[in-house]
Amino acid sequence: MCDEIIEQKIDITTSVMNKNDLFAAENRGFLKGKGIYTLNLISSPGAGKTTVLESMAHYFGSRMAVIEGDIQTRRDAERIEKAGCQAWQIETGGACHLDAHAVKHAMDQMELDSDILELLAIENVGNLICPSGYDLGENLRIGLLSVPEGDDKILKYPSLFSTINVLVINKMDLLPHLDFDVDRAIEECRSLNPDVLVFTVSAKTGEGMEEFCDFVESNYS
Amino acid sequence: MHELSLAHDMTRIIGNVLGRKVHLDRVNITVGPLSGISPESLRFCFTEIAKIEGFGEPELVINQTRAKLICLDCDTEYEAEDFYQGCPDCGSLSRKILSGREFTVDSVELEEGED
Repeated sequence: MCDEIIEQKIDITTSVMNKNDLFAAENRGFLKGKGIYTLNLISSPGAGKTTVLESMAHYFGSRMAVIEGDIQTRRDAERIEKAGCQAWQIETGGACHLDAHAVKHAMDQMELDSDILELLAIENVGNLICPSGYDLGENLRIGLLSVPEGDDKILKYPSLFSTINVLVINKMDLLPHLDFDVDRAIEECRSLNPDVLVFTVSAKTGEGMEEFCDFVESNYS
Repeated sequence: MHELSLAHDMTRIIGNVLGRKVHLDRVNITVGPLSGISPESLRFCFTEIAKIEGFGEPELVINQTRAKLICLDCDTEYEAEDFYQGCPDCGSLSRKILSGREFTVDSVELEEGED
């Protein structure tokens, strides 16, 4: 038997997000090559992500495609298709977020015709925590907060609201009925994230949606 | 509970580097305070996943770092343990994050008899 002491400690030094980040970079390059601008839409369940996308579908029409992330069902993809856009449903089967590999896999199966498409919107799984750590290859990360959720949510979920480029406050039509302080929400978001841009909308009534869509379009046109 | 996915990713990384599955004595990782990861939740998930994936029952040693930030109002560089710790000089939360989101598998230690 060998008496020599074998070094038992083995260096790994690898970022756990490395694999996701590589796929995200690949997605970003692929979409850039096709001239498609990409959004990652994150919110809690029920904040109105799909309704915002339906409203955007009226503005962008077939120029926009949507990847829907949900634990289960094709319901959201069906709503988007009905609104006139190509949609691909990812059913995560339990995972609480989308990752860049799942998005790549979806894109591989979609028909992303760069002659028609300008915009790819990815609706993440409804969750304010887990999606924040996963770069999907998007150009713009949008955090959606709705009036019924309360104006104090931003500081409770800093890992998301500190990493978004745009804050969209939705369901503004409910403002007269609820104690939501818009200025407080914006101020607290800016305290974590000084460069964040803010839009106030009601996807249901259409209030503020044209301004928001104009802004999205101005980023790539 | 994305810690479950992350625990899977950790065992995949370790398996790739080692080229095989062996029983581990210890796994050393670094988790930044702005990474959005709950260390205790990760420990719970990793313990189970490591066992299922054939790496035995290693101790997970978590090096919890402090975030490095620079105040955008008064340029003070400071360290923080979470998102809510503002600038020690002026109290502002407006800052640029220099580090704190890191999450790495640093090294593993093999169980005696494994080589």
